[in-house]
Amino acid sequence: MSTASLTIDGLTVDFSGFRAVDSVSTVVDAGELRVLLGANGAGKTTLMDLISGKTRATAGKVYIGDTEVTAMSEHAIARAGMGRKFQIPSVFRDLTVRQNLEVAASPSPGVFANLRFALPSSTTARIDEIIELVGLGDRVDTDAGTLSHGETQWLELGMLIAQRPKVILLDEPTAGMTEAETMKTAAIIKAMRGEHTLVVVEHDMAFVKEIANRITVMHLGKVLAEGSVESIEKNQAVRDAYLGSKGIV
Amino acid sequence: MPVTKNTLALATYVVLFLIILAAPLYFDVFWLNRFSKFLVYGMLGVAMALCWGYAGILNLGQGLFFGLGAYSIAMSMKLASPTSLAQGSDTPIPDFMLWNAEPGAPIDLCCITNGSFLWIPFKSQFFGIAMGVVLPTLVAFAIGSIIFRKRISGVFISIITLAVVLLVRLLVVEAQPFTNGFNGLTDLGYLTVFGHEFDPYYVSTYYLIAISLVVVLVLARILVQTRSGLILQAVRDDDRRARFLGFDVPAYQIFFFCVSAAIAGYAGMLYVLVAEFASPTFMDLAFSITMVVWAAVGGRNSLLGACIGAVLINMVEATVSETPQLIEAWKVIMGLAFVLAVLFLPRGIAGLVSRLGYMIVRKPQKMPAARADAVDAEPARAG
Ligand SMILES: Nc1ncnc2c1ncn2[C@@H]1O[C@H](COP(=O)(O)OP(=O)(O)OP(=O)(O)O)[C@@H](O)[C@H]1O
Ligand SMILES: [Mg+2]
Repeated sequence: MSTASLTIDGLTVDFSGFRAVDSVSTVVDAGELRVLLGANGAGKTTLMDLISGKTRATAGKVYIGDTEVTAMSEHAIARAGMGRKFQIPSVFRDLTVRQNLEVAASPSPGVFANLRFALPSSTTARIDEIIELVGLGDRVDTDAGTLSHGETQWLELGMLIAQRPKVILLDEPTAGMTEAETMKTAAIIKAMRGEHTLVVVEHDMAFVKEIANRITVMHLGKVLAEGSVESIEKNQAVRDAYLGSKGIV
Repeated sequence: MPVTKNTLALATYVVLFLIILAAPLYFDVFWLNRFSKFLVYGMLGVAMALCWGYAGILNLGQGLFFGLGAYSIAMSMKLASPTSLAQGSDTPIPDFMLWNAEPGAPIDLCCITNGSFLWIPFKSQFFGIAMGVVLPTLVAFAIGSIIFRKRISGVFISIITLAVVLLVRLLVVEAQPFTNGFNGLTDLGYLTVFGHEFDPYYVSTYYLIAISLVVVLVLARILVQTRSGLILQAVRDDDRRARFLGFDVPAYQIFFFCVSAAIAGYAGMLYVLVAEFASPTFMDLAFSITMVVWAAVGGRNSLLGACIGAVLINMVEATVSETPQLIEAWKVIMGLAFVLAVLFLPRGIAGLVSRLGYMIVRKPQKMPAARADAVDAEPARAG
């Protein structure tokens, strides 16, 4: 049936004796939305750092489709089909919303290849669609630095869509958002599902239930459990280790 | 058609070009000679805005590239000087080499002093001209490759560029038999291109510089409006974000660092044409920092602003320094202007003028407050 979009095989990082991520293996199918759960310090962000090349793995391998990207530099991994959103939203503050998306949608990475003016009209049309999708239609000519927190997050999501990666990593996309903003973010992420493969770190369980296909639970750098939302909710080890007495609400 | 900040910027470009191209109609050659130096400084302002404003690289060693360009052309012009031809040899020899030569050394560029053979290709003035741009670009490429591939950023770039310019200045001063050390290269001949002599007091020399400035401004403006220029500004705002979007960030930084160096080197050559000397003072720390001040006051985010800032500041300074009592005061004023610009006018005079101009033009339509803010932020791209 479906093919693997992101394969992680025995990924480990050793920070002078402390294994923040310890032999993590998992396979994310094409078009799947995988949620990564885990208490503070479980190693979720570090895992994303390893996958996206920000931190070098001590052991293990990462594949996008059939391509191994483990030892590549960040920009090469990005060009191989990986997009990443950080825990703290980052956009180009002195560029307008549209310019941010134009940069993200730029079809070629090189400095000489980009010594030209207009983007292909198909790309411009796609940018318009993305602006529509993330709901920033009335902000296109605003400097990104003046957007609200929520708008900044949506712009960054839009930039990831414009980048057209196979695999998108989202680190806490709803952190610091109001309930209404969270709802809108859920809608954007759902719209991304299918075309992209997503791995999302999220704490808000209502949100997780809304978007997740499957869940991977991390604890102390290791994979504790993996499965559908229902099976994770029932899993005794997860309840003991992560959810404590509260259970998934 | 609505009046946009782009129309205003275009109008400013046109007015500036008309003024500098029409200047010979109104002023004598002595004034033009002086003014062309200011235009060269304006070109340095463009290089600074490109590097600092657009790429976010605060280069405190821009004088290195200016100096390399200046020395390259000055070496060719020195060999063309009548004095160099009258040193008792069939081939030109710079006079200072004879003063510095070991007794009994052959009077020939090949071996009169250590390293003097490096002067040989500079007998061709085309070689000197080419080196004036190629050398700064290559040096910038080497420095840039190290700095940007190693992901050195912020204040450390400034410290490294500052250290490099001081180091090279020291080498130039120390290499007396090769560079005439502290005295620099003086008593130069003329640059002759296709039989035309560029006498510093010819109108044609003024036009060479004026047109060069126009061309550099237009090309730099076009460059920052390409996609690469936009991506460069993205890198300036958040290099990590750009990297994770798949851009080879150092390639962008190195490329624009080199372009800026090439412009500075070209400016160095033009300066020698009108000033008739090249000196290690071009690589003084004070000169490189002065360029930063021009760009800050004029508006570092605007190529045009930094250019006009450099020209105007130098014109005022030249007037002021005719009164001895004012010279010290001028330094204080410039220092103050720099601090004020950094604190309150990050977009410099260009940002202020652009905002005022836009407000005046748009007044009848009564602009909502939110639009005014957007305009304030605009010159980053409009420059
Ligand atoms: N470069 C590093 N050197 C040493 N320890 C590190 C490094 N990076 C992360 N860690 C440690 O690894 C552990 C996992 O951190 P990580 O940020 O991945 O957790 P997380 O699951 O994302 O938590 P949160 O939910 O708080 O974001 C933490 O204990 C952290 O202190
Ligand atoms: Mg985290």
